Amino acid sequence: MSDFTKELDASGLNCPMPILRAKKALKDLQSGEILRIISTDPGSVKDFEAFAKQTGNELLESGEEGDSFTFRLKKA
Amino acid sequence: MEFTNIHLVTGIGFLLALVFGAVANRTNFCTMGAVSDWVNMGLKGRLGAWVLAMGIAVAGAQILELTGLVDIGSSIYRTTNFGWVGYIVGGLLFGAGMTLGGGCGQRTLVRVGSGNLKSLVVLLVLAISAYMTLRGLLAVFRVNYVEPLAVDLGERGIADQGLATVLGSLFGFEATPVIRWIVGLVVAALLIGWALRQKAVWDNRENLVAGIVIGLIIVAAWFTTGYIGIDDFDPVPVEAMSFIAPTGNTLSYLMTYTGASINFGIAVVLGVIAGSFLYAIVSRTYAIETFNDRSDMINHLTGGLLMGFGGVLALGCTVGQSISGISTLALGSFIAAISIITGSAFTMRVQYHRMDDMSLVKAWSVGLVDVLMPWRMSD
Repeated sequence: MSDFTKELDASGLNCPMPILRAKKALKDLQSGEILRIISTDPGSVKDFEAFAKQTGNELLESGEEGDSFTFRLKKA
Repeated sequence: MEFTNIHLVTGIGFLLALVFGAVANRTNFCTMGAVSDWVNMGLKGRLGAWVLAMGIAVAGAQILELTGLVDIGSSIYRTTNFGWVGYIVGGLLFGAGMTLGGGCGQRTLVRVGSGNLKSLVVLLVLAISAYMTLRGLLAVFRVNYVEPLAVDLGERGIADQGLATVLGSLFGFEATPVIRWIVGLVVAALLIGWALRQKAVWDNRENLVAGIVIGLIIVAAWFTTGYIGIDDFDPVPVEAMSFIAPTGNTLSYLMTYTGASINFGIAVVLGVIAGSFLYAIVSRTYAIETFNDRSDMINHLTGGLLMGFGGVLALGCTVGQSISGISTLALGSFIAAISIITGSAFTMRVQYHRMDDMSLVKAWSVGLVDVLMPWRMSD
């Protein structure tokens, strides 16, 4: 079983699109469910840290896979 | 080659821009990001950095002017030509453009310096459309349809569009030096005070550093062109950092180098790219980025086009009008800055609603309601 509920591929997009898409995707999740995000924008690392802190959705993971950045957000 | 006044001024401009580029890269200073953080997350850290830079620039520029060191009033911002349509329409288009193009003029230069080839495309399109609006085909539209709508304040007996003068003419007092000191102090205090009250500015000290350094660089730029640049034989225009018309001029300069001469704006454009590049190399963050998404490429091309066109109509960008211009206390600069932020916020809301497969017309109308009545916004 995968360790996330839904995956969002925001590769090739830059600020503000990854955040906008994540915000939209989180709307469809239930509290406690996990959204995995893939992004190629280096700025998204700081953006998702700030997003998690500001919105209360927990950032479980922020990592790098090759040229991509991956994040796992747990919906509050 | 003889070393003249212009070489001194452009040399200092390049060095100031080098610091600007490095600091903007390091601190992630981004005016579009500032609007995004605010509109999409309710976070005002980067907005605070921007407003702090405005406030510090106002304080410094007003001190330079009111102590008689620099004739800031001779710059392009505070003239009697009140081009309100250009400020509003140009500002809105610029705001939309920076959102689609991954950042404003300065951010585009910073990203070019750190290896982003998407931003290089934006830069080229921006430069061409800015130059076309200054002197080319789009200038025909600007001259025939936008400029005639400008109000000549001189005809109404108003000496310039500075806040002190405009307030004086509205409420029937004269904008004496004392009044101008008071207006300058109050505006600087309001801007700096607002910025420093934002918790997010203190949570991430990079915002503090960005605001202070960029504000001071604008002041230093005024001093460079307006004090060091004074020369009986070879004076330079009084100006501070701006990034739209100068980007167009830079492209033209590079293409017509043997017959062209350097100026402050060109040195600043090249300096920001170089400063960001040096920081990216030293911090090992230099990375080539390219398009791999069709809609992303369309957005970036549109963004560059709108920024070049809108930025020239509005007489500046998020730095040119919104920090340098505001530091002169020109009314038009405040209008341009608010229009840019509004255009950017509107575009983000439209992008957000479009993800629900909403039609363009519906997304535009819902986006418009979001921007006009933000308290009714549900998410």
